[in-house]
Parts: sequence; C-alpha cells; structure tokens
Amino acid sequence: MYFAGVDIGSTMTKVVLIDESDNLLSTIKGPTGPEQRQLANEVMGQSLEQAGLRIDDISCIVATGYGRLNVPFADRQITELSCHSRGVYSLFPNVKTAIDIGGQDAKCMKINNGKLTNFVMNDKCAAGTGRFLEVTAATLGVRLEDMGDIALKATKKIQISNLCTIFAQQELVALLSRGEKLENIVAGLHDALASRVAALAKRLGIEPDLVLTGGVAKNNGIVMAMKESLGCELLVPEEPLLTGALGAAILAKEMYVKALAEGEVLPKESRRLEKATFFSEEQR
Amino acid sequence: MSWYIGIDIGSAYSKGVIIKDFELVASHVIISGANYRTSAEVIRTELISQVNLSQYDIANTVATGIGADNVYFAGQKASDIVCTARGINNIFPQARTVIDVASQSSRVIRLSKEGKVVNFTVSEKCAGGSGRFIEVIANVLRIDLSDFGALSARSKNPITFSTGCAVFGESEAITRISEGIPKEDIAAGVSKALAGKISSLAKKLKLEEPCAICGGGALSNALVKIVESELNTTLLVPQDPQLITALGAAITAATSVN
Repeated sequence: MYFAGVDIGSTMTKVVLIDESDNLLSTIKGPTGPEQRQLANEVMGQSLEQAGLRIDDISCIVATGYGRLNVPFADRQITELSCHSRGVYSLFPNVKTAIDIGGQDAKCMKINNGKLTNFVMNDKCAAGTGRFLEVTAATLGVRLEDMGDIALKATKKIQISNLCTIFAQQELVALLSRGEKLENIVAGLHDALASRVAALAKRLGIEPDLVLTGGVAKNNGIVMAMKESLGCELLVPEEPLLTGALGAAILAKEMYVKALAEGEVLPKESRRLEKATFFSEEQR
Repeated sequence: MSWYIGIDIGSAYSKGVIIKDFELVASHVIISGANYRTSAEVIRTELISQVNLSQYDIANTVATGIGADNVYFAGQKASDIVCTARGINNIFPQARTVIDVASQSSRVIRLSKEGKVVNFTVSEKCAGGSGRFIEVIANVLRIDLSDFGALSARSKNPITFSTGCAVFGESEAITRISEGIPKEDIAAGVSKALAGKISSLAKKLKLEEPCAICGGGALSNALVKIVESELNTTLLVPQDPQLITALGAAITAATSVN
C-alpha cells in the first residue's frame, strides 16, 4: 500500500510518497506557480515516476497547505497545522513545540503525542515570514539560499530598526550607502526575523523538544538567530521543507488503515475522474 | 526682511515654501532621493529664484521632517507634528483635527481652538497604513502616482485585500491582474484598505470636527472620499495638501523671529 501527501505552499509545492511502514519512496519539491493545479499535477507526476508507481497504486492522497483545495486528485484536504504536527512528530517523537516558517506565514504549534493542541500564526504581516528574507535578499542583490553562509562571516550585527519589510528595504539601501558590510547587514536581518517569530512563539509558551521547520529552517543563520532569540536548543529535520507533506502522507495512511479496519472503503472516484485530465499517458 | 522659508524633508518627497506676511509666495516639491542635503539645497535655490531673492534676504529658515538634520542652513528645527498643526491652522483656523497621510507614516493630530496640538497619534510601523501602500501598488499597476486617485474613483467594484500588509498586497495585486481584474478595481481596493487603517487611527484619537486632511495621500480624491464615508464627516482639503507641513515650518520661522 502506498500513500501520498501533497503540500501546496505559497512558494513551494512538495510531494511525499510513503509505503505502509512510513518508508519514504520519493520526495519532490517544485516552486508553486500561479496555476496551482497544473503544478501539483506536475510535481505529483515526477514523484510517481521517481517511485515507479502509477496514480492508481496510491491508496490515499491527502492535500495540505494554503493551495490544498486546488488539488483535483486528492482524496482529502487537511489543514497544514495538523499535517505539520503529524510530520514533525514522526521525525521527533519527543516534540512538544514546533515552529514552521514558510514563505508567506509563520506558525507555532503545541503538540502532544502527535496531536495539535494549540497554535498561533502570523499570515498578516510579511515581516514575520520567509517573505521578509526573500524581499530583503533581492534588495541586497544576494541569492536567498546564500544568506545563511553570508551571515556566518559577520563580525557584528547591524540592528534593523524598521519592522515593516518595505521600510526595511529602504533602510538597507541607506545602510549600504553608509558603507556597512553586507554580512553584518544580513546577520541583522536574520536577527530581526528571528526575534519576531520568537515573540510569536513565546505567546504560545515554549516547551522542549522544540523543532524548527519550513523553508526558512534551511538557512543556518536563521537557526542560530532563533536559538539566541528563544534561548533554547532547536532541532531541525534534515529536510525541513517536507514535514507538511510527510504529515499529510502519514495522515492519509492512518485514515486509510482505520477505514479498512472498520470495513469501509474510502471513496476515491473523484481522483480517478480527474486522472484523464491531469495525468495523461505521456506524463506517467 | 520678512521672507521666511520652511523646508519639510520627507522620506519620499521634499517640500519647501517661502512665506511673506504669512502668505505663501513660492513653493517647490522634489523627490527626496538618497541625499537629503542636496535636496534641501535644490529646494532653497529654486524657491529664492522663484521670487528673485538671494539667500541673504531670508530672515529665517526652519526645517522639519525625517531629514530635518540635513538642512544645514536652517536656523532651527521643528517637530513635524507641530508644523502640520500650524500649517493647517493657517489655512483652516476652524479645524480641530487634522489627518496627515504621508509616504512613511499616517498621523492624526487634535488641535485646540487656538490651533495648538492637544494630542496626536502616529502610525509609522507598517507600510500598509501609510501612503507607501499606494506607491507600491501604483508601481505594480504601472500607473503614475498622480493618476491613482482618478483611476480608483472610476471603480464600481473595488477588490478586498485579504491582509493589510503592503508586501502581501503587492503579490495579491499581481494575482488579481493575472485574473483579469480591471486596474481601477485594484486601485480602489488599495484606497479602501488604506482608508480603513487611517480611519481607525483617527477613531482611536476621537475625532473632533471640523476635520482636515493633508499630506501627499490627500492628493487622491478617491482616498479622501472613502475616509470621509468611513468617518462619516466632510473633510477640509487644502489646495496643496503636500505643502502643509512645510508651510507650518515657515510659519514657525516667522513667529520665532518676531
């Protein structure tokens, strides 16, 4: 039996395929485009190809993320909060608090035995999300993925006084023209984002083990800054982008197994119907 | 010698005026750019050439705004809150509240009968609550800032932004463009969102009528209209809303010498 989790985030689309023992068969990441349905289809197709499976081989598919309603072949939609919690728990069984910093939001979750018990999130202000780094990296003319390494060279941190991303952009131009070093500015930006997310997490209360996920967790500068802001240890999965999709796949498995045990069959007609439109023979 | 200069160096625009006997005789507005010192010099040169004076004919100069420190030739500096209050009091002595919609901040100031500042509140943390939101979206829509008001006034069906954040608003506007939503509906949506934030700022301070509006944001008729309906009042709009704070600075220059 095979299960799939599809996580459509604002910036990246992720697919995870697992078998009944939670073994990873394939993981694919691709940028989310404006036409989410086509992209979900493409990433799913690649994932199936990698695992050598066909769409009908998958017993249950769960979609999550902010674009989850745009996945025509998914059997269920589950919120990213539940999926992240489940995914993080599967990797770190002792997790009590998880922080996910995505491209367009930041979430802090309280987790008890894999179940979400409470959460706070920010999706209203770009300054507390990955978007802050995306915008400021562009202003500084550096690649987003290089920011962590650049910050390692910092000899001091320049404090960014503006909270708003747009005003901070302007501040960066002024800092550069004043001759401040790029690495010191980048370290300051990491601090700014980390302190905002940490403030959000503190509202919820932090209990170890604490896990950091989301695309922003790939930036080691942020991980360091978050540790400082929170004043505690932080665990980061090897693939911090995939926890949502992984959780979705595990929830798909659990749903399917439970239904099977109760003698029910989960309907997946809708997926089959959409198959012809979204999965042509060539794409397999 | 009774000419006085007021210079207001804002984050986006620098404004300057000359007054004589408390009457505006010259004015100039430029984009602030990266060097406020140069901007201040350019404004002074232009102002005094407009009235055929030399810099030695100016009795006093007062600087205000975020870049006031760069106006090295100013006799003194003054708070922008006080300058806005004085400027609006000069034009609308009856005004008891003034809303100033600037590029980097929005401010609401309550005035006494004598035109003195009683209380004020400032929103400067978030671009979504300042004129900057309009600048950002105008850029996405590729329209001139001066056309923004007229464009959004044409809308019959303004869009609603899902957050108040200007960064998220920018992406949302791009998505709406790709969906084929007319420019005017997006522009009107921004005016609506900004007006909402300004109105709640004004309500926090308890609005006292009559209320005036100034700053670059007041150049947009559409924005003024929506703020009026949100606050359920008629706003007094000066002819040159962008110059009010510079005018107040010039008045400060005149009164502190006399």
